Amino acid sequence: MSGLLFLVRRLGQALLTLLGVILLVFVLFNWVGGDPALILAGKMASAQDLANVRHQLGLDRPLWQQFLDFVGQVLRGDYGESWATHEPVSAIFRSRLGPSLTLLIPMLVLETLVAIAVALLVAALRGSWLDQGVRMVSTVAMSISLLVYIIVGQYVFAYLWGWFPVKGWGDSVLTNLRIYALLPVLLGLFVSVAPSIRLYRSFILEEIDQDFVRTARAKGLSEVRILFVHVLRNAAIPIVTNILMGLPGLLTGAFLLERFFAIPGIGREIILAVERSDFPLIKAITVYVAMATLAVNLLGDLCYRWLDPRVRLE
Amino acid sequence: MKVRRAWVLWLALWMFPLQAQEKVLHVAFSASETGFDPVQTSDLNTAAVEQQLFESLLTYDYLARPAKLVPRLAAALPSVSGQGRIWTFTLKKGVYFAPDPVFQGRKREVTATDVVYTLMRFMDPKNRSPYKFLLEGKIEGLDERADRARVTGHFDYDTPVAGLTVLDPWHVRVHLKTTDYDFGHAMAQPIMGIVAREVIEAYAGDTASHPVGTGPYRLGQWLRSARIELIRNPNYRSEVWHFSPGKDPENQRLVAQMEGKTLPQIDRIDIQIIEEAQSAWLSFGKGELDILGLPAQFSPLALSGDQLRPEWVRRGIHLDRIVEPAIAYYFINQQDPLLGGMTPARIALRRAIFLAMNDGEMMRVIDKGQAIRTAYPIPPGVAGADAQYQSLLNYDPELANQLLDAYGYRRDRTGYRLQPDGKPLEVQYTTGLSSQDRELDEVMKKSLDRIGLRFSSNKLKFPDIIRAERQCQVQFRLSAWIADYPDGDNFMQLWYGPHTHENNASCYQDPEWDRLYEQTLVLPDSPRRDALYHRLARRLELYGVTKVSTSALRNVLSQPWVLGYRAHPILPSVWNYLDVEERHDATP
Amino acid sequence: MTQIYSSRRSENAWSLALRRLWRDPVGRFSLGVVMCYLVLVGMVLAGWLGARWNDPVAVNYAPPTWCASVANRVTLPAGEAWDRSSVIPLYGWTDPLEPLWSEARAAAQRIQPEPVSYRLTLLFGADKWGRDVGQKVLKGTQTSVWVGLVAAFVATFIGTVLGALAGYYGRWVDDLLNGFYGVLTSIPYLLLVFAVAAVFQQKGVGTLILILGLTGWTGVFRLVRAEYLKHRTREYVLAAGALGASHGRRVWVHILPNVSHVILVQFSQNLVGFIKSEVILSFLGFGVPVSSVSWGSMLNEAQNELILGKWWQLGVTTVAMAIFVTALSLLTDALRDALDPRLNS
Repeated sequence: MSGLLFLVRRLGQALLTLLGVILLVFVLFNWVGGDPALILAGKMASAQDLANVRHQLGLDRPLWQQFLDFVGQVLRGDYGESWATHEPVSAIFRSRLGPSLTLLIPMLVLETLVAIAVALLVAALRGSWLDQGVRMVSTVAMSISLLVYIIVGQYVFAYLWGWFPVKGWGDSVLTNLRIYALLPVLLGLFVSVAPSIRLYRSFILEEIDQDFVRTARAKGLSEVRILFVHVLRNAAIPIVTNILMGLPGLLTGAFLLERFFAIPGIGREIILAVERSDFPLIKAITVYVAMATLAVNLLGDLCYRWLDPRVRLE
Repeated sequence: MKVRRAWVLWLALWMFPLQAQEKVLHVAFSASETGFDPVQTSDLNTAAVEQQLFESLLTYDYLARPAKLVPRLAAALPSVSGQGRIWTFTLKKGVYFAPDPVFQGRKREVTATDVVYTLMRFMDPKNRSPYKFLLEGKIEGLDERADRARVTGHFDYDTPVAGLTVLDPWHVRVHLKTTDYDFGHAMAQPIMGIVAREVIEAYAGDTASHPVGTGPYRLGQWLRSARIELIRNPNYRSEVWHFSPGKDPENQRLVAQMEGKTLPQIDRIDIQIIEEAQSAWLSFGKGELDILGLPAQFSPLALSGDQLRPEWVRRGIHLDRIVEPAIAYYFINQQDPLLGGMTPARIALRRAIFLAMNDGEMMRVIDKGQAIRTAYPIPPGVAGADAQYQSLLNYDPELANQLLDAYGYRRDRTGYRLQPDGKPLEVQYTTGLSSQDRELDEVMKKSLDRIGLRFSSNKLKFPDIIRAERQCQVQFRLSAWIADYPDGDNFMQLWYGPHTHENNASCYQDPEWDRLYEQTLVLPDSPRRDALYHRLARRLELYGVTKVSTSALRNVLSQPWVLGYRAHPILPSVWNYLDVEERHDATP
Repeated sequence: MTQIYSSRRSENAWSLALRRLWRDPVGRFSLGVVMCYLVLVGMVLAGWLGARWNDPVAVNYAPPTWCASVANRVTLPAGEAWDRSSVIPLYGWTDPLEPLWSEARAAAQRIQPEPVSYRLTLLFGADKWGRDVGQKVLKGTQTSVWVGLVAAFVATFIGTVLGALAGYYGRWVDDLLNGFYGVLTSIPYLLLVFAVAAVFQQKGVGTLILILGLTGWTGVFRLVRAEYLKHRTREYVLAAGALGASHGRRVWVHILPNVSHVILVQFSQNLVGFIKSEVILSFLGFGVPVSSVSWGSMLNEAQNELILGKWWQLGVTTVAMAIFVTALSLLTDALRDALDPRLNS
């Protein structure tokens, strides 16, 4: 299969998947979701007021027509305005993306660095007490719920010892990184680094057992050089893929941190939107995140193909 | 140790950069705001911000209790004639809107036309105002205008309405359809803040993020559902802090702190949305927040009995404690196939359920002691309240059991009761998804177990609860109602028959009750109205419609550097009456 | 012939793997711990343990016995006595329940409620209702592990069936199922949970299991599909086909035993994941109903208690959960190592 044909085929698949996502989200939230008119019309509303609100939101039109509108919105990239706050949805998404990324990028970078370093170390010393110890500690660390880390961490580190502010968020990225994001990032790291260490260790071990490592050893290259240059270069493909694949999920997965530390991120926004039956926002976030996922997958596939010509995708 | 200090210093430098002596107040909301177009507002947090951005004609005195109407944009209290049907308002002169590009650099003065426009907006179907009910069916000619707009799709603001007359630029007269002594309260709502037509029209579609009013503050930076910044309005007229303290020593302290200062004193108000109570509480404890409504679950840490704990007193923290003008009340759907109906056996069943509700335990465990037992539908601090009212349905599981036995609700082998005809019986309680709702479920289940009734809970998202209530499908629920304005009618209307499918969630339709209620509508707050209210309240208990349970206490903590703070039962925010000193940090 | 061939092959692999698992001390130990928990769950299910978790046996927030020097600040209020003989004005109405109401009042007046004694301390302390945290954590363990097991079973089942169909049949079946997989995995997990929860209006243990099961099968699907893709062209499958074995037989009888190690590892991995997810679902309000208690509901309940200084419920639950999840994770690893086909050869 030529590169271009492959690209076209994967793009087609991605578009189909996106259509599936749109359909699913539409059915689930328009059909079984709550009635937003009840919130918007207020506590003294009459049946006529409710009908009026529904009419203005276009909720009284046939479902297929609403669906077509939704598809149109996706195509135009304009999801209208939030029903709850009347803010353009794209503006909400844009303003929430920054804080989420401010939290997630440092978390991801730190996690990757720490995980690779530790994984290399324990892989080189496979079977030693250090390997066993790291394995034990990381297993225990990841068996405790993030909720517990947050509750205890916020109370002890921020309140009792005063090392960090309890909560908050500023305007400048630098302030946020230096002050407000510190504790959430560290707590998030605690939970996410352990599985990565174990995963990367297995990637590295897989490479260590390969022939080329033996060849390199036979050539008399130093152990450190082998590990950092040869092994790591080869293990990089699965590691990068793993990071890329996890990215979109992270965006919404940090909602606990965002809630407790009052960070205006996307995860918190989703919960809020579902509570308020704010469909435009729910739909937009889902489609955006789905697009990100699909793009990342596509990118991953292309990288794979480019880095490793042996890979043929079924 | 040294390392830790260095840390703290480093953090402190970053957190509190050296700023010119700008006075800032840090506060928090526990739920997010919506948008700042008064006409579309329905929640208290948004109203709290609007209270600062806009000004209504009237407001409530900061210190007087019970809440007393005083003029705000009006120069004086309105003159009322025609048996409460003709209200004439005189505006203050020289009041200007906050600067905005729409005014093109000119200072824009508030006139009577703005008042008329503001009131008309509530009836414009396009605005779908949640507080339309404050004006609906009240002003001569306005409803007809709204009806026409519904047909033509366009609300006519240009032709005058019979009931809203501009006498001259500073006088406006309102003609009501019927006697209504509560109209003054309607005009004191923060959502009745006066707006300028050209601003609303210039920002059509996005009025919520361009609030332009005459209030002491205007909107600064705003990150929705996260942070709201209010900055001083440069056009604010000169107002001075002047309130009568009465005999209250606490008020006298406030007067000593604040009397004669120009308003507002604080330059910037920083509002953060913090949903998790733990975060808000710890944040206040560290001095990151200046004022905090104490979350009930943490009250054992701050209070012992009704006093502040010594460790907080030593830090100079201040406690202000008031009863919320709100009730928590149980209701049972009168149209429910299992619990509804007017047969004696069903009435007995409903009364038994209410008798089993353990208000004491509820207040102790759920409210952590931060509530009082209220038996009367009108809570303290609201016109028409009666603290002496005796409930027919106080907690009494023994009586409930006797009653159920007497009406033939026999127990099956598992110890749970059956209907008199031997069919199974299960009480379904409707509740939300929060962890506090889960605690309520636990109390409810324990209470019903005590009288042998099977319990199940129907967990719904909040909008779904409202929908179910309106469709008369909620069997049994503990609901709450907070005063929109401090008058008993705002509470009694909850059981009015024609309000079924609106906010009469018990779907109670009783001609006798409705007849008496309609009589109260044309009466001002008076012993005659009180007598009728007592009959209405008792009838709700006799037929097992409702049991009023508690009123929550509001505990507000403020840091030692906050001056002039007093919790107000009705005003959603009082930041314009406060001042902050330079903080002398006493955090641990 | 072919059947004997394939099943003997897998039997060998299984006993070999088990032996390898037993040789690994970590594997042996974690297997022991997991077994202990499962026995515990069985005993709670049978009603021998933790049956009285819902009884208030102590004062509110009774501290653990071994740190009872902490002053217990909770004071029990006096009984809520109210005089049933007092006359309540009816403001001119007549009571529709007379005369039975007055008779019931008189009868109730004669009943003297018996005083109940409450303990001041407990081994693991008490919660806000005075319930024994030790009993609660037993019951909670049962619920959480049970929910996890059933949900993992549901997820593994769905994932295996769909994965096998997609992998074996390929073509449009694969395209369809893989497309569905693509759709589900590109919707944020949080939204998927809300969406599935919205479909099932009734909240409870069953809904919880369905939420977990219906959102968690994708991982199994991906791996099983890949295995079937590999296996469908293997010699033994082709041979079985040549000997007249139907497709169904080839999918479920011939290939399945040879990919079962993948499924088993996925099962235990899902179990770990689901037990942790249950905590988050409880936080979002989709947890078990009040007639039951789980680790998630206990952690959420204990959320505020730490700051109040009542740390025991949080502590006990966290430890109970951490031990099980750690043991299970280690066991999963050990299983994976023991079953790794590359080590077989």
